[in-house]
Amino acid sequence: MIQFKNFSAAFGERKILQELTFSLPANSITSIIGASGSGKTTLLRVLCRMNDRIENFRIEGSVFVDGMDVYRPGTDVYALRRKVGMIFQKPCVFPKNIIDNVIFGVRKKISKKDYPDVAEKVLREVFLWEEVKDRLGEKATTLSQGQQQRLTLARTLAVGPEVLLMDEPTSSLDPKSTAAIEKLVQSLKNRHTILWVTHQHDQAQSIADQVLVIEKGQVLPLSVPIVRPAKPASFTSVLQNVQGYPE
Amino acid sequence: MNAITAEKMVLAFIGCVTFLIVALLFSILAIMFIKGLPAMHGGFLFDESRDFGRAGGIFYQSAGTLILMGVTVLWSLPVALGSVLFQTEYLESGKFKTFLTQLTYILNATPTILFGLVGYLFFGVYLEAGVSWVTGSLILAVMILPTLQVSIREAVEALPEKYREAGMALGLSRPAQIWRIILPQSFYGMVTGVLLGLARAAGETAAIMFTATTFSGIRFPQSFSDPVPTLQTHILVLAQEAANPESIAQAWGAGLVLLGLVFLLTLAAWAFRTRMVMESEL
Ligand SMILES: Nc1ncnc2c1ncn2[C@@H]1O[C@H](COP(=O)(O)OP(=O)(O)O)[C@@H](O)[C@H]1O
Ligand SMILES: [Mg+2]
Repeated sequence: MIQFKNFSAAFGERKILQELTFSLPANSITSIIGASGSGKTTLLRVLCRMNDRIENFRIEGSVFVDGMDVYRPGTDVYALRRKVGMIFQKPCVFPKNIIDNVIFGVRKKISKKDYPDVAEKVLREVFLWEEVKDRLGEKATTLSQGQQQRLTLARTLAVGPEVLLMDEPTSSLDPKSTAAIEKLVQSLKNRHTILWVTHQHDQAQSIADQVLVIEKGQVLPLSVPIVRPAKPASFTSVLQNVQGYPE
Repeated sequence: MNAITAEKMVLAFIGCVTFLIVALLFSILAIMFIKGLPAMHGGFLFDESRDFGRAGGIFYQSAGTLILMGVTVLWSLPVALGSVLFQTEYLESGKFKTFLTQLTYILNATPTILFGLVGYLFFGVYLEAGVSWVTGSLILAVMILPTLQVSIREAVEALPEKYREAGMALGLSRPAQIWRIILPQSFYGMVTGVLLGLARAAGETAAIMFTATTFSGIRFPQSFSDPVPTLQTHILVLAQEAANPESIAQAWGAGLVLLGLVFLLTLAAWAFRTRMVMESEL
């Protein structure tokens, strides 16, 4: 489904990703862990060409999503972004009501009378329906952070993406909302290919089918089985499980 | 002298300067009111002027000023908005962007008489448009263009990047992005820009004096080539008749009305700006 071929990315002279070649299967959850600044966000953003507005962003090699060469000139970047949805670290809802937020990306594509049905469907998918069904006309900004994050997920799902890129989606949430979202992605897995960036090693292990580590521009599978430490894993202990990392 | 005394002295100095400026502003306002109020008889705002402005009201002058200003925005807004969107949404090269930004700041600081002159030579002489409200509004439009451009661009750039990215990630095309995110989210900032531009246009006399306006003989313009009476011209002509107390009183009255207009525009701009800040903090 997703395939990197000799792919490198840089901001000006600063190389962030180097010569990546790997692929990810469809309908699975892949976790990506790595230190802050290691290029996790950059890796996700190339998949939907979110860095197009950044002038000094350079790439080499190619990335394929569902056989489509992402950076080939002439690629329909808007279609690509509808196919590859992205959820950000901090939920960003528009200062509009809940319904308007949910159907924001499909407003022009469906008829007005379908808005409520579409909204209900995706809100149910993110387990938010019961919480908001009586207040759909209220401003989305009145929801809690956890609810807002699920709302942005519903908004993305409404567009019908095949791939979901989630960039530390729970890092600004409380434990309860975090658990809700972690549970939620499991239910999305059979119809979507999910990339989940996190810096929490535990979380990566518990939700993902496979875990990748990004370090010094390289992406490596976390191949050695983890012996769970008693206290939460520090990043060094994560790295020590990566092949070739010096003790 | 230690640092604390130095700081105190600087503070005292700044305090004095601030006080002077505020006092100056208030005395101007006070003088305007004291001198202008006697002219504010019942029909001053809605009567035609009589006896070469020495009696009657300033209805057609006010109307002319409003017409000029409204038409000016009509010319200027699409150009300013278009150039802002081109600059922020379409232009890829950062260097060219910076260049354009600097250019608009320079234009914004250019003395307006130069715009008036160039506008007069281009529209009035070269295009032979003559002295008319169309010529005047075109010149004013060129004049407030940098002001509009700068304030609209600042409004668009103040838009948090996250909204843009959220729209982008949903696969919105560029026009959709502009129409559904950029314009609604920076609406109040834009209104502020327009109002400030208008206030500036209302304060300009030099640029339109010889290109658009007339002192008397015209009510509403009947064709594109007619001049209009305006408050600015009215004030200037009346004020020159220093020997005639009625003229001077009328001039003060008209001045007060013009001041009120600019004040209202600025107040509205400020109200919209506050609104914008509130929206962006959501
Ligand atoms: N717009 C940008 N311009 C220049 N450098 C950037 C930009 N965005 C990110 N970077 C740099 O790229 C590196 C990787 O960033 P990022 O992918 O956000 O890391 P992570 O998500 O793993 O914390 C960082 O060193 C960061 O400074
Ligand atoms: Mg990141």
